[in-house]
Amino acid sequence: MQSHLFSQLTQTKKLKIISTSILLAASAAAHPVAFEGAYQLMFGTAGDVQNFELYRSYSAQAAWGIHAMRFEGDEDEVFTGLQHNWLLKRWNLPSAQANVYAGLGAGLAGEVGNGSSPAGIGFFRADYETRRVYTAFDAKLVESADVSRGVFSAAVGIAPYKAEFDQLNTWLILQVEHVTGMEDNLEIIPKVRFFKGPYFLELGSTLRGQPVVNFMIHF
Amino acid sequence: MKILSIISLVILSASLAHAAPDRVATVKATVNGMVCSFCAQGILAHFKKHPAVSDVHVDLTRKLVLLEERKGKSITDKEITEYIKKSGFEPVKVERVKESFDEAKGG
Repeated sequence: MQSHLFSQLTQTKKLKIISTSILLAASAAAHPVAFEGAYQLMFGTAGDVQNFELYRSYSAQAAWGIHAMRFEGDEDEVFTGLQHNWLLKRWNLPSAQANVYAGLGAGLAGEVGNGSSPAGIGFFRADYETRRVYTAFDAKLVESADVSRGVFSAAVGIAPYKAEFDQLNTWLILQVEHVTGMEDNLEIIPKVRFFKGPYFLELGSTLRGQPVVNFMIHF
Repeated sequence: MKILSIISLVILSASLAHAAPDRVATVKATVNGMVCSFCAQGILAHFKKHPAVSDVHVDLTRKLVLLEERKGKSITDKEITEYIKKSGFEPVKVERVKESFDEAKGG
């Protein structure tokens, strides 16, 4: 049913939906820079969109790597690009940490088997976290011949208990996202975040019932 | 002959003074910004690679990184602060304590 409806949309509408979905999936990546020498592998799915990122942090302030996404529809869409992320500022406080990140990337996007065109991506992120409270704000902009979109996302979370370093951490998070250039669109995503050791998993759903799953590992 | 003995004594004292203590030592580093165990994985990754470190423990509540040094080996304060910074955090204080590693972990 969904595929049938999708096929009836105009090419412009399809591109808008695809770019929006890509952006929503990309916004799941919450750790643009890790520790010096680390690799960060992140992948996830939100509805019909798969997201894949692999970065190498060559210092505690900068990382670069591959960002690839796939949207499953009547015509599968793929984005592949290189991205560089910077930790612009970090406040290491006795009981909290706050960060400001930015990133730039370039790549190609298009329908599978039907050519592609150059695309650029830029993002800004600010977050603040204690052992019980989490807040984050993300802004992303994507520009290509066919796409010009902005995505703004805000998230708040609480940890029901203070987990120690080697214990399972659990967070209850509520995320709100707004995409410009579309019909008024406010996506509300309740999700549960778990992490232990170098493993990170998020499970949730949009209020419209689309599943949200994100996995991350550092090595 | 007397001069040679004095020189030998001086060399021996100097080398003893610079040798690492022949016991297992515990180092306690106070660190700011460690609020998330996922983000602090770099602490483990970096210190576990150091040949003088036999064990690492991160205590988020007390904001501490505890290191157990191998017998006869030592990690310098400079290396400790450098590793903490490479992990993305702010070292506040490094101290060498008399407690064993397990005692220090126990609080």
